[in-house]
Formats: sequence, C-alpha cells, structure tokens
Amino acid sequence: MITELWADVRYRLRALFRRDDLERELDQELSFHVDRATAKYVALGLPADAARRRATIEFGGIENTKEESRDRRGTALLESVVADLRYTLRGLRAHPGFTAGVVLTLALGIGANAAMFGVLDRMLFRTPAYLRDAGDINRVYFAHTADRQRYTQGWTELGRYFDLRSTAHSVSTIVGFSTWHLAIGDGEATREVPVAGVSGEYFGLFDARPALGRFFNTQEDSSPQGTNVAVLGHAYWQSVLGGRPDVLGQALHIGRLTYTVIGVTPRNFVGLDQDEVPAVYLPLMSAAWNLRPEDHRRDFHWGFLGLAAVRAPGVTRDAAQSELSHAFLVSSLGEQPGNPEHVHRVEAGHLAVVLGPVQRDRGPEAGPEASVVQWVTGMALIVLLIACANVANLLLARALTRRREIALRLALGVSRGRLARQLLTESLVLAGLGGIAGLAIAQWGGATIRVLFLPGATGGNILNDTRTLAVTLVATLAAALATGLAPLFQALRSDVAQGLSAGARDSGARSTRLRPALLVLQAALSVVLLVGAGWFVRSLWNVRRLHLGYDVDPVMLVTLNRRGVALTPAEEIALQNRVADAARSMPGIRSASPAATIPFWSFEGRYLKVAGIDSVDLLGDFILQIGDTDYFRTIGTPIVRGRGFEPADRAGAPLVTVVSAGMARALWPGQDPLGKCIRINADTVPCTTVVGVVEDQHLHSFQNPREYTYYIPLAQYADPVNMILVRVPGDAAEALEPVRRRLQTLMPGTSYVTTTPLRSMVDPRMQSWRFGATMFVAFGGLALLLAAVGLYSVIAYGVEQRRREIGVRLALGARQEQVVRLVLRGALRLVGGGVLLGSAIAIVGGRWVAGLLFNEPATDPVVFGGVAFVLVTVAIAATTVPALAAARVDPNVTLRAD
Amino acid sequence: MTDDRLDLPQGTLDLLILKALSLEPMHGWAISERLHQVSNATVQIPQGSLYPALHRLERRGWIKAEWGTSDNNRKAKYYALTAAGRKQLASDADEWARLTAAVALILRMD
Repeated sequence: MITELWADVRYRLRALFRRDDLERELDQELSFHVDRATAKYVALGLPADAARRRATIEFGGIENTKEESRDRRGTALLESVVADLRYTLRGLRAHPGFTAGVVLTLALGIGANAAMFGVLDRMLFRTPAYLRDAGDINRVYFAHTADRQRYTQGWTELGRYFDLRSTAHSVSTIVGFSTWHLAIGDGEATREVPVAGVSGEYFGLFDARPALGRFFNTQEDSSPQGTNVAVLGHAYWQSVLGGRPDVLGQALHIGRLTYTVIGVTPRNFVGLDQDEVPAVYLPLMSAAWNLRPEDHRRDFHWGFLGLAAVRAPGVTRDAAQSELSHAFLVSSLGEQPGNPEHVHRVEAGHLAVVLGPVQRDRGPEAGPEASVVQWVTGMALIVLLIACANVANLLLARALTRRREIALRLALGVSRGRLARQLLTESLVLAGLGGIAGLAIAQWGGATIRVLFLPGATGGNILNDTRTLAVTLVATLAAALATGLAPLFQALRSDVAQGLSAGARDSGARSTRLRPALLVLQAALSVVLLVGAGWFVRSLWNVRRLHLGYDVDPVMLVTLNRRGVALTPAEEIALQNRVADAARSMPGIRSASPAATIPFWSFEGRYLKVAGIDSVDLLGDFILQIGDTDYFRTIGTPIVRGRGFEPADRAGAPLVTVVSAGMARALWPGQDPLGKCIRINADTVPCTTVVGVVEDQHLHSFQNPREYTYYIPLAQYADPVNMILVRVPGDAAEALEPVRRRLQTLMPGTSYVTTTPLRSMVDPRMQSWRFGATMFVAFGGLALLLAAVGLYSVIAYGVEQRRREIGVRLALGARQEQVVRLVLRGALRLVGGGVLLGSAIAIVGGRWVAGLLFNEPATDPVVFGGVAFVLVTVAIAATTVPALAAARVDPNVTLRAD
Repeated sequence: MTDDRLDLPQGTLDLLILKALSLEPMHGWAISERLHQVSNATVQIPQGSLYPALHRLERRGWIKAEWGTSDNNRKAKYYALTAAGRKQLASDADEWARLTAAVALILRMD
C-alpha cells in the first residue's frame, strides 16, 4: 500500500516537474509503435506510404492517445492551475500600475481588518494566557442601588472577601487580586512598578509552571500579614534583572517591606488582568500588610480588591450568582450588627452579585473603549467593503475591455468552466498579494493601534498569532470572491457573437447599471465613516474644551511614600508641610498645596448634614477637598464669592469651608450661601461656616452635573494627606525630575517621593474619544481616498467609452463647458445618491453610538453638512480630470477612428 | 473490423498486460503483437488505449519503464513487472478464474 502510494506520488511529481521530458518520451514511444506497425505492413507487401497510413489509422488518433496518457498521469487539473497562474501573473506584470493599485487597495482593507481584529480579540475574546477552564471562572461584580441609581463595581474590601470565601459553597475557589504601583529597589535605583497582590490559590487557576523556582501557596497568604515572598513577572525579570537564574533567594525591597524572591512566572503570563502586567506578585495578605499594617479580616472600608470565582462542578452561573448575592447581603448586614439604620440602608440597596466573563471588557465594568473598539472594527469591515467595491469596479472595467478576447476564446472552444477558473485565479492572486501586503500593514499599523488601545499589552507580533492570521486568510478569500464574482458573471454571460462583433467599445446595459450602483454604495459607506469621524472629533473637541474648573497642564502631583521609618500622624503632617514649603521655595515654582482629592484618581468624602435637608446624599456626589492658603491659586480655580483660605483659619479657630457654586445652588437655592452652616461627619458636631464660593470643579466625571465639591483648610483637618499639588509656570511634565530630586532630599529613611503630571490623570478619561476620533478619521480618510479613486476610474472609463458620443456632440456644436458639465453632472448624481443613502444609514446607526459621544448629538447638522461638503468637493476634484479630457476630445480624430 | 474479433470486457486489459509482461520485459508494440498472436487474433487491443493503460499501471507502481534498445537497434521504452505488479497479477488472475468459472456455471444452468 505504502509503496503504491509512493510510486504514485513519485510519478505525479515527475509528471509535474519533468513535464517536457515526459512529453518527449511519449512522442518517442508512440512514434516507435507506429513505425513498427508500418514496418509490419510493408513486410506484408504494402507500399511504404499506404503502410504508414494504415498504421496511423489503426492506432486511432495520436493526439487523443497523448491527451489520455497525460490524463492518466493525474496532473491535468494541477497543470491547468499552473497554466492559469502563469497566465495571470503574465497579465498582472503587463499592467504594473493596475496591479499595484488593486493590491494596495486590498492590502489597506485587509490590513485594517487584521490590525483591528488583533485588538478586538485581545480585548474581548481571548482569555488570559495559561488560564485553565475559563468557562468556569467568573469575575465577581457587586451591584447596589443608591440615590435611585444602580451601580455595579468590580472591586470590594478584604472583609467581604473573607466573608464570601467562608460561606459560599457554589464556588470552589474565590481568589482576590489587585495591582498597585509600589517602589522597588533602594536609593537612586528606586522605581515604581506595578505590583500585584494575589491570593494563594491564584496561580492554581493557570496551567502555568514557573520559569524558575516556585509560586507561593495558601500558607504563605495567611492572615493577617502573610509571608514576605515574591514571584517575579517574566518580563521584569528579563529586562531589569537580566534574566539571571541566581535571583532566587535574593532579597528585594518592595514598598515598606523586604521580600525573598522564590520564583519567576513563565513567559507571557499576565494573570487575570491583561492591560497591565505586574512586575512582581506578592501574597495578597502580605501586600495588604505592606500598604496598611493592620488586621483586615473585618475591613469593610478599604475597597480595592478584584475577585474571581471558580464555580463548583455542575453549578450554573445563575445558581452561583444567587448564592453569592445572599452571602453578600449577609456579609453586609454583619458589618454593623444591631444598627437598625444600617440594616435599613443595606436592604434599600438591593445588593446583588453579578458573575461576568473573565475579560473585564466584556463585563458590566467595560469602559467605553470596548464599545469604541467594536465600532472601529465594524468600520474596518466597511473599509474592506469599499476596497472590494473599488477592485470589483476596476476588474469589471477590465473585463469589458477584454470582452473581445473572452468572446474569441469561447469561440475557440475554451470551456466556460475553464474560463471561470482562470478569472477566479486572477482575483485570488490579487487578493492573495493584497493579503500579504495587508499583513505587513497590520504588523506596522497594528503596533500603533495597540499602543493606542492597549498600552500595557505584551507581545503583539501578528505573524505569530494564528487567530489573526486565520482572520486575515478569511478576509483575503472573501475579498477574492467579492471582487471576482461580478466580472466572472459578466464574462460568462457574454454572448460570443455579440462580443466578437461589438468589440471593446460598447458596454452592455446591465454592467452600466452594476458599476454606478457600486459607486453609490462606496460613497454611502464613506459618508457613514466620515460622519462617525465627525462625531468623535467633535466629542474630543468638546471634552477638551470642557471647562474643568481648574488648570491641568501646569500642575503636578507629588506623592510622599513613607518607608522604613515610623512616624506619628503629627510628624507625618509636619513632613508633608515641610515638603510643600520646600516646593514653594524652589525657583520658578509658583505655588504648592497639600490636597486630599486628586482629579480622576483619588477622592475623599464625609457624611454631611445641613439644616433643613433630610438626606444631603440624595442631592448628588459631594467630594471633600483639603487645601492650604495656596490651594485655589495652585490648581487655578477662581473664587466667585467671599474668600479662600487664610492663615487665620488655623486649628482651633472657627471652622470654615468653601463650597462650589453648584453645591451652593443645590443646598441653598435662591439664598446667599455665605455664612451658612454645614456639619461634617455627624449631626452633633459644631457648625462649619461657609466663607466662600468657587467655580465648579470636574474631579470625578466630565458629565455628571450633580458633582459638588467643598473645601476645608488643611490646618483644620486632622489627618496627613501625603499628596501635594505643585504649580509650575510651564508644562508640569517637563519639571517633574528637578522637583522630585529637590524634594527627595527631605525624605527620611528610605522614604521617597514620586511626581506625576495632572495631565496623565485626566487624559486617560478622554481615551475613548481620542481612540474614536483617531481611528474614525484614519479609516474615514482611507474610505474617502478609495472612493475618490473609484469615482475617478469609473468616470474616466465612462468618458473613454463615450468618446464617440462626445465627439458627435462636439461636432454638432456643443461647447466644451457643456461637455464638462455633462460629465460632472453624471458623477454628482452618483455621489449625491451616496450622500443621501449614507446619511440615512448614519442617522439610523447614530442611535446606538450616541452614548459614546460627548455633548454631541448624533444628528449634528454641522457633521452631516461638513461630510456632504467634503464628499462633493472630492467628487468634483476626482471628476475634473476626466471631464477636462472629455472636453478636449477632437471630433476629427474620434469620428474617423472607426 | 472483422466480426470474429472480441471487444475486451472492462478492466481485463490491465490483467492481459500484466500477464504478457510476466514473461519478459517488453515495449508497447511487442505487448500489442504478443496479445494479438497468443489469442489467435481474436483479441484486438485498441491501440489508443494501450498506452494510457501502460501509464496508469506505471503510476500505480505495478510496472516500471526503462529505455532500451530494440531488436532493430532503435530506442524503445521497455516495461517490466515490479514485485507489486507480480502480486497484483496473481490476485487478479485468481479473481478472473473464479469469476469466469462462476459465470460458466450459471450459463450451464437449465
């Protein structure tokens, strides 16, 4: 059997590659036979020529025999494929401009899709590397109702973590994980890196073996402070520690404590969070102790911990969800046993646990980025559609000019199947080349996009990514079919006699309908993309222009990180004030002030009581800010009424506060807020008197109009805040290092300061609009370019086809402008149709996008008008060249051509 | 051409070629002549199907081809049975004998 198979393969290979040898041998063999037969008849007495004739007749069709022998070689199909390929390549080489245009067009379309799929896959579909049984693992979310609104959050407190772990039976494991930025190393080499605290069972969720050493276990993650062991992330081990094997057993200074390195994760291990890869993993309890050295088993205040649950075998998601929801309720009630007000609040909260997919961007906490990525991926598909329409158009045009050739070949007996195969070969080759070039584009452009969308993602070489390669292949085949079918049907429909007599000049009625339809579609799709671009650009513009109520660019945040020294709160406050004073006295620094709330990053809040209002909480979000006399100058918030803080507002002096204008309106509508009394923390404390009103600040969200801020002088606030805002004359990002170096000298022991520009805290919140604007503009521009090329080629081709008609018109006295107008009118009718169709699609689709936009109605007439204007302008530009060519037609030449 | 010639049943040509080659390697012409003579001129090989059949057998590895010099000093392609071909011939011949015996039995039935 095997030998037979081998003989077969060897024979076929020889037949394929030594084709000429075989042909010669076949010739020789057959002529030998005929010669012998002739000789036999000559021997029987026939004259030589009669003998040969008889031998030949008896043999019965030499060519037939040859053909049959060739078929027996089993390579006929392959040979015709090879012939088609040769023919196609020859044709493509003969028209390098056409070939390059088509390949580039398809490459842009396919490349855009490959790149976007890579991002989409990473965000939504792919489970984290090494994760075992991803279907049984859920991210745990906590839902509650407050202020008549439903909130779902993906983090909880350590107390809750312990409660759920001890009561839930529907899940076999609950792991906690969180990532902080902590300092690693000593002295000048100290760097802040992402450090993860994870449960002892965490690594058990993965099919991962440590690249070195071992992972930590549950004993090393025991309450209250765990064991100080560390597992290094592979990338950190490679890049910072040089991948040396002797790191095992080394001591590493992380945050406040010293850890022993016990292992290294395998390459590409990212844990459950794919966006930021930790440099080091610590046992959760040890990490918590590192940050806050206290027993956290009953800690229901410090919310930071993400949870993942592994469902027990056979337990459905719904069953696990309802059991965990009950456990959540019991745990919450147990926070303050015997407090009826607490019980009432918990019951009014309708607590529930929601189990979501492992990928955060598919869960209830998905950021707008995930939706934007989905939309952009849809846009990439549209770009591919436009590219295909373009190429189909070009191929159709070519098929028309090749009508005579095709008719001739049909007349000569080439079967239609063979012809179809050949035409399909052509579109396959074009799409294949486009796919290869597309991969190159995706590799290069994809890196840019990935940095934009997934700043922390590792890896990303799409050539190693089978899923992206598979999608690219599918897109390529789809493109081949989409571009090849129309010209194919046209060719196969063609009537031989008509094709031969009409020649290349006149095109059939049907094809003249198909090509303009493709053009209208292209224009419509371009309109959709450009409208999307308009929406996101305007959103980004709106959010950028949004008056935050403070300055961002000139302000930086200085954070004091205490390490290796024990300080009393009073000493900490003294240190913080010393650092603030030092910052203020640096040359070039305008002002500085400690602060407790940092925009979009860290918030303080307190229980508020105002006379005459039942529940202040129901009126909105009240954010507490702490600042000294320099605060409002430092962050650049104007004082509207009354005064800011003064040195006289010291501890022991009458308590004062400054409120935001919105807060004043919400609490005392129509009244003068100055002199009003609010009570902070409890109903029974003395009044804090309002002495000033400042402009509203957007600290927590861009859109929430019920976000209010009140301010308390630093001297009247008991706790250290350990954060200082510093204002520089120019861009804070450029002054980070000198400030850090100066202030570091004040830090005791191994404590250290970090400096961060405020911009880097505000900007991520604008990401989704920036993504949207960037990608839609890129794809919209691409679509517009493709549509313009398509329009140009169709109009130019149309002019070429109508050369004779135009000649007649000119000969009959038409003026040149009339000819130009004739051509322009045709083009503008198509584009106008496209604008109408595209606008209709955009208006319908806009309903779903509206939520992603910022202060931008999806029906914005500026956007629609602008897009229509751009499209018509581009259409006129693309049509002008062929229109002028039409006007220059010389009737003398044209009419004599036939 | 003449009425006493028989058309070959489907598939028997391969068997006849293998049998002819089991005696000695031969070129196409010789195979055709040999079959013609041995069958007392009753079997006429359609010349046009001989060569396709030879190429098919070669592809299946039952015969192998080699260029040699013929009795009149011309280059000719000689075919020889391979080991696989010999096995195939044995099983085909056996099958053929049983088939014809069975057919003969049935035809004798009254």
